[in-house]
Amino acid sequence: MSGGCEGHGVPFDDWDDRDGRGGWDDRGDPGDGDDRDGDGTGEETDDASGTGVLEAELRQAAAILDPVPAELRRIAVEAYALHDLDARLAELAFDSLQDASPVRGADDTPRMLTFRAGEVTVDVEVTEQGLIGQVLPPRPARIEVLGGPHAVAALTADDRGRFTGDTPPAGPFALRLRTGGEVIVTEWLRV
Amino acid sequence: MDRADVGALVQSAVDGDAAAWKALVEGLSPLVWSVVRAHRLSEADAHEVYQTVWFRFAQHLGRIREPDKAGAWLASTARNECLKVLRTLRRLTPTADPAVLDRVSEDRTPEESLLDSEEAAAHGERVRRLWQEFEKLGDRCRRLLRVLMASPPPSYQEVSAALGIAVGSIGPTRQRCLRRLRARLDTREVL
Repeated sequence: MSGGCEGHGVPFDDWDDRDGRGGWDDRGDPGDGDDRDGDGTGEETDDASGTGVLEAELRQAAAILDPVPAELRRIAVEAYALHDLDARLAELAFDSLQDASPVRGADDTPRMLTFRAGEVTVDVEVTEQGLIGQVLPPRPARIEVLGGPHAVAALTADDRGRFTGDTPPAGPFALRLRTGGEVIVTEWLRV
Repeated sequence: MDRADVGALVQSAVDGDAAAWKALVEGLSPLVWSVVRAHRLSEADAHEVYQTVWFRFAQHLGRIREPDKAGAWLASTARNECLKVLRTLRRLTPTADPAVLDRVSEDRTPEESLLDSEEAAAHGERVRRLWQEFEKLGDRCRRLLRVLMASPPPSYQEVSAALGIAVGSIGPTRQRCLRRLRARLDTREVL
């Protein structure tokens, strides 16, 4: 059945469809391809060995052995409440986890985040003790810490825009700021 | 999920139709879950990433530039969050190798016990064996097949967004991986 013994070391991106046996699936991650905007409707005919049937069987097995947990489905349905067209979205502009190189030997480096909505930025530092942040340009604000559709804590930013919270956010979190008649919500993140 | 349908549902959800949002969750949460599972996070991390992705989707609902590609948006958001989790783990436990990370997610879901019921035993045995052989595949095959197993089947564009691989490489790799899995199953049957 599997004939192509000659195909040792077939590259991952090779269009050749032989059954490469060179351990190609044990390599590192493929580079991020440039052609990700391909049309993507990659329907194809399955060969005589019935790979399409096998894939369907796998799909069935996943539905039985590893389905989306019901409670997660419910949470996703409820997340519709987070859809708020009136609030300005403060997008993540800096995340130390992604944009900074790790500090050697410092495992407890705080997570530094910067969110930006137009001219307003919100800096947040998440530590084991809680969170510290500042709204810039400096301005007072009422701040809700969200852990889902419902607020989990309320904070206040002083005249200099500074705020502190004594509970570190766990899991998904966002901040909803009310300042000078407008509402700004930071992009959801997991910390 | 059909792209035209997804685009229309996103538009309806933006306009306030909660049923449309629910349909999006039903249609696309298996894809999000598959992406998370493909990255083999711990149970707790998997749940948090899944939630973060849906919270952020709700937040971005009216701002998504190509609503018919919402599936790809969800898949790539899920991938990014998974990579952040893996980066944190690597930072906190410098010695962690992939094998250690793999072990974290080895607890199977309680649904597996469903298969123990007598009427499902015969079919269950086959499904279990298929799953076992699937789990023994190399990383790349396991990851790709886990994403392809989403129900309804994802488009190649969604798969590309989920794994950061070129659309053109998906078809050939899929064929190889499924043939490889088929070969493993055949070998076991002969023994």
